[in-house]
Amino acid sequence: MKISNLIAAVITALAVIYSGTASADLTINANRDHISIGFFYHGSTVSVSGLSDTGTDMIVKITAPDGHETLKQKGKAAGFLWMNIGTLKFEHAPSLYFIHATKKPDEILNAEEMNKHIIGYPALSKHMEIMPVSGDEERTKWFDEFISYKEASKLYAASSGLIKITNENGRQKYYMQTDWPYQAPPGEYLVTVYAVKDKKVMEKAEAKVTVEQAGIVKALSGMAKNNGALYGIISILIALGAGFGVGMIFRKGGGAH
Amino acid sequence: MYLYLPVALTSINIIIPIGLGLVVGLLSGLFGVGGGFLMTPLLIMLGIPATVAAATDSNQIVAASTSGTYAHWKVGNVDFKMGFHLLIGGFVGGLFGVQAIKILRAMGNADFVIKMTYVLMLGIVGAYMFIESIQSMRKKKFEDSKPEKESGFSKVLKSLPLQTHYEKSGVTHSALVPVIFGGFVGVLAAVMGVGGGFLMVPVMVYILRMPMHVVVGTSLFQILFNCIEVTFLQAYTNHNVDFILAVLLLLGSTIGAQVGAVFGRKLKGEQLKIILAVIVLVVTVKIVFDLTTTPSLLLGQAGGH
Repeated sequence: MKISNLIAAVITALAVIYSGTASADLTINANRDHISIGFFYHGSTVSVSGLSDTGTDMIVKITAPDGHETLKQKGKAAGFLWMNIGTLKFEHAPSLYFIHATKKPDEILNAEEMNKHIIGYPALSKHMEIMPVSGDEERTKWFDEFISYKEASKLYAASSGLIKITNENGRQKYYMQTDWPYQAPPGEYLVTVYAVKDKKVMEKAEAKVTVEQAGIVKALSGMAKNNGALYGIISILIALGAGFGVGMIFRKGGGAH
Repeated sequence: MYLYLPVALTSINIIIPIGLGLVVGLLSGLFGVGGGFLMTPLLIMLGIPATVAAATDSNQIVAASTSGTYAHWKVGNVDFKMGFHLLIGGFVGGLFGVQAIKILRAMGNADFVIKMTYVLMLGIVGAYMFIESIQSMRKKKFEDSKPEKESGFSKVLKSLPLQTHYEKSGVTHSALVPVIFGGFVGVLAAVMGVGGGFLMVPVMVYILRMPMHVVVGTSLFQILFNCIEVTFLQAYTNHNVDFILAVLLLLGSTIGAQVGAVFGRKLKGEQLKIILAVIVLVVTVKIVFDLTTTPSLLLGQAGGH
C-alpha cells in the first residue's frame, strides 16, 4: 500500500510539473511576420492561429513596445469656448494595442493575472502613467479619452468573440483574423496568445510582426528625415516646375482668352 | 486608388487630395489667396497630422501660386514692384511674429490668443469686404464714377517720404506703406500660422487702393515667395513636408488656379470681393461653431491649432 501511494504521489507531482511547463502545447502562427509598406499600401490583415489544450479560453494581444505620447488637451476656455488648454503626457503607452478574447477578459481571468500580463484596458490603465492629473477621477477621465482617441485612429481595439475555436483530433484549434490598420507606424509588434483556464493564464506563446517601409516610401521618408535641405529644394523645384508646366499648357490651349 | 504618404504615415484615396487641390486652386486663381485657411483643416480632418498638413500645404501653394501668377502675369495683372515691397515687409513681420508667439507661449495663453485673433480677423475682414462691396455695387447703379473723398488716413499716407508710382496698379504711395502693411500682415500671419492671403488682399484693395484684378495677381506673386521660404524651412528643420501628398494636391491646384484666373477675368472686381467675403465669413462661422460645440474627442495631436 505504501509503495502504491508513493507511486500515485509521484505521478500526481509529475502531472502538476508538466502542466506548469507545458509551453510546447500551445502553438502560435501569424499569417505574416513581415508587413511591407509600399507605394499602394492601404493596411493589411493579420490572422493568428494555433493549437491549444481543449477547454481553455484564448486571448490574443497585439502590442507595440511601450512608448510615450504627448497630446493636446481640449477644454473650455473663458467658460464656453472649446480649445486646447494644455498638454498631457502618456508614459508606457504602446502606440498600438489590440486585445481579442473568446470571452470578456474579466470573466475568464482574475484581476491579478490581468494586471500581470497587461490584458484589457483596466490593466493597461494601471500600467500607464498620465501627467499632469490632479487625482484618480481626472486620471480615469483622461485615460478613457486616450482610449477613445486611439480607437478613433484604429490603433486600439478590444473585442470578445472574434476568436473562433474548433476541435481537431482531441486538440483545440483557434483562429482569428483582424484588419491591420494603415495608421500603424513602421516598427516591431508583438503578438501574444494566452491559454486561460480557472481564471489563470495556463500558457502563453509569442510571435513577432515587423512593419517596414519599402521602395519609394522608404526612400522618400529616409530623405525627408536625413537630408531635409535637398528634400525641401526638390519639393520646391517640382512645385515650381508643375506650376509653370501647367501654365504653359493652358497658354497653348487657352489662346482664345 | 490609394497611395501611402511616407511622411504623414497614412494612406489616402488619391481622388480626395486631387479634388481638394482643384477647389482650393480655383480659389487661389480667382481671389489671390493661398487657401490655407480651407486646405489645412480639411487635411487634418482626413487624418493628416496637423504639422504635416500645414507644411505640405505650403509646398502645394508654391505650385498653385506659380500657376496662378503665370496666368495673371500673361494678362499684365502682376505688379512686381508692389509685390517686392510687400514681401520685404512680410519677411520682417514674419520674424517679429515668430518672436510674438514665443512670448505668448511663455505667458501660457497662446492658444486662446491665437484662436481669438484668427476668428476676429476673419470675421472683421469678411464682414467689412462684404458690406463695402455691396455698398459700392449699389453706388455704381446710380452714378458711374464719382471721385471718392480723401480721408484723413490717406492724407497721412500721402505725406510719408519715398513716394513712388506703381505703374501696373496705377497708384502712387510711399514705398513705406506696402512695407509697413506687408509687415503688419506678416506678424499676424506668423502668429496665426497661416499664409495671410485673406488679410493681404483687403490691405491691397482698401489701403493701397489697387484694382482688384491686379491685387489677385500681385498677391499670388508674394504668396509664392512666402511659401517657398516656408516649405524649405519646414522640410529642413521639421521634416514635415509630405512630397507624395504635395504632388497629389498640386495636380489639382495648378489646374484649378488656371481655371480660376480665366474665370476671374469674366467677373467684376466687386463680384470677386463679395464671393471672397462670403467664403471668409462661412469659414468664420464654421470656426465659431467648432469652438462652441463639444468635440467628440478631447485629445488631439500636438502641433495643430
